[in-house]
Amino acid sequence: MSARAGILIFPGTNSEEETLRACHAAGLAAELVHWNADLDAVRAFDAYVLPGGFAYEDRVRAGAIAAHDRLMTAVREGAAAGKPVLGICNGAQILLESGLAPGLDGSTRAQAGFTRNAPLGKYRSTHVHVKLAVAPGRCAITAQLPAGAVLPAWASHGEGRLAAQPRILERLEREERVAFVYCDAAGNVSGAAVPNGSALGAAALTNARGNVLALMPHPERDAWNFMHHDAARERARGDAAAMLASSGGIALFAGLAAAVRR
Amino acid sequence: MIRCIEVSLAIPDNEARTALATLRRLGVAVAALERADLYRCDVADADAERLVDTLRDCETVYNPSKHLMRVREDDRPGPGEVWIDEIGSGARPGGGPLTIAGRTLAGVRSLERFTAWRLFSTREEPAGAELVTAATETLLCNSAFQKAIL
Repeated sequence: MSARAGILIFPGTNSEEETLRACHAAGLAAELVHWNADLDAVRAFDAYVLPGGFAYEDRVRAGAIAAHDRLMTAVREGAAAGKPVLGICNGAQILLESGLAPGLDGSTRAQAGFTRNAPLGKYRSTHVHVKLAVAPGRCAITAQLPAGAVLPAWASHGEGRLAAQPRILERLEREERVAFVYCDAAGNVSGAAVPNGSALGAAALTNARGNVLALMPHPERDAWNFMHHDAARERARGDAAAMLASSGGIALFAGLAAAVRR
Repeated sequence: MIRCIEVSLAIPDNEARTALATLRRLGVAVAALERADLYRCDVADADAERLVDTLRDCETVYNPSKHLMRVREDDRPGPGEVWIDEIGSGARPGGGPLTIAGRTLAGVRSLERFTAWRLFSTREEPAGAELVTAATETLLCNSAFQKAIL
């Protein structure tokens, strides 16, 4: 049987369909898994994707309730066994609330969080680019990307600012846990490219083992040219095949597919 | 003077119910849980009453159809309570007039906003410090970017 990824749906998840399509386009056998699924069936997956949305309506804090959901038992076990785990947007918030990322010193408690955007605390939906900030092999999901790869994505969140105590932030940098940082389309990293005031300009964190990736912006929403923001979409206008060609975001799902097969 | 204004839901609070169910599932034996938004303001005496009116007139933080509002006698957590605030949220960018939902808060020198959780060990009995601490550490506060006042 080929390797399969489970795309977990909590009450309030809303990005599962586009995430599923991106996984399928990348050649990954993936299935939607609802929160009431049999836990042993969930355990049988070879990888997990936590898509975006508002799990449990963001009650208490974004990701806080879902982090304690029974489905996360399987995710925790899978992560400990080395299975790839990708969280996108709300999924990334859940991974931080659950302690699966960054998981310094093997902790299973939240050591950081994606919280209200700075400076105004408001929701933002804007096109962004993220740059691979660690050696590709540092994270299983990025292992087949070129060094310094720049991916397009859509930031769509009210709580995407990485926040943690200064000593934690220092360790995130030193221990290469910041997998992606925000950048411009040319890959230049600057404060101006950060849409939410995120500490360290961080867009994604990984764990010590590198099999968990918590990514705030949505690469699945920039998987094909018709979703893209800039000249690539304009060039494709009027050409259906070009519109449906893969854009940069799909590369992350190809990386996930490769990690699952590995 | 310090004015501490509490806004809570008069209708069923689904967020509190979800938090209660999650805490119980995680082994924190809370019998009941209430939630409120708190606005703790340092306000000039002459403007204190107007502050309440401003909040009362505001259709974002207070809706008379679904909210209750009261001025608390204390400006610290009471028995069974924990107040949650985001670290650094008290900053006043630019030093301009303080506003809530676009309404200028006349005479307000500082404003802190908290989520107050009120825990009960029985239906009527406020929870003790040990239970409040357990609930805070288990679910109610992410100490990476929030602070809890017990």
